[in-house]
Amino acid sequence: MDLSELNSPEMQKFYSEEQQKAVITETVAKVTSECWDKCITGTPGNKFSSSEASCLSNCAQRFVETNMLIWKRFQSMQ
Amino acid sequence: MDSFSSPSPGSSQQMSAQDLKKQLQSQLALEYAQQFLETVRGKCFEKCITKPGSSLSGSESSCISRCVDRYIEATGIISKALFGGSQH
Repeated sequence: MDLSELNSPEMQKFYSEEQQKAVITETVAKVTSECWDKCITGTPGNKFSSSEASCLSNCAQRFVETNMLIWKRFQSMQ
Repeated sequence: MDSFSSPSPGSSQQMSAQDLKKQLQSQLALEYAQQFLETVRGKCFEKCITKPGSSLSGSESSCISRCVDRYIEATGIISKALFGGSQH
């Protein structure tokens, strides 16, 4: 493969897919970090309590909704 | 970090698109893993080492182990809640 093939349609598709995967990875990482701080208040145990587990799950969903709400509000100001 | 073998001057490029993709993917995976470890380290140090002593106590060590497991589990819960299905 020579340098010009770095931009082939095949490689472009690959870059695009990897970029999407990177966004997903980064989003999960960020949300996990924030929700861990909010939900896991005590010392980590051998397993999550049911309230910790549901807090984490709820937190992720609330994050998505918050994101959309902020976006909508911002758009309504344009 | 040099993971691309440089061809000797004058020779044709040896790497196929397949090879390149694999190398890029494994470098990315390594980066993600390093970032993850850094995050876990921060969180678990914060949770488990509240009063640094002259050595790591048994309870501090087991706290850290549990913390790592829990953080990995938390990542799975969040991943599933956001994207419905476990992402690596």
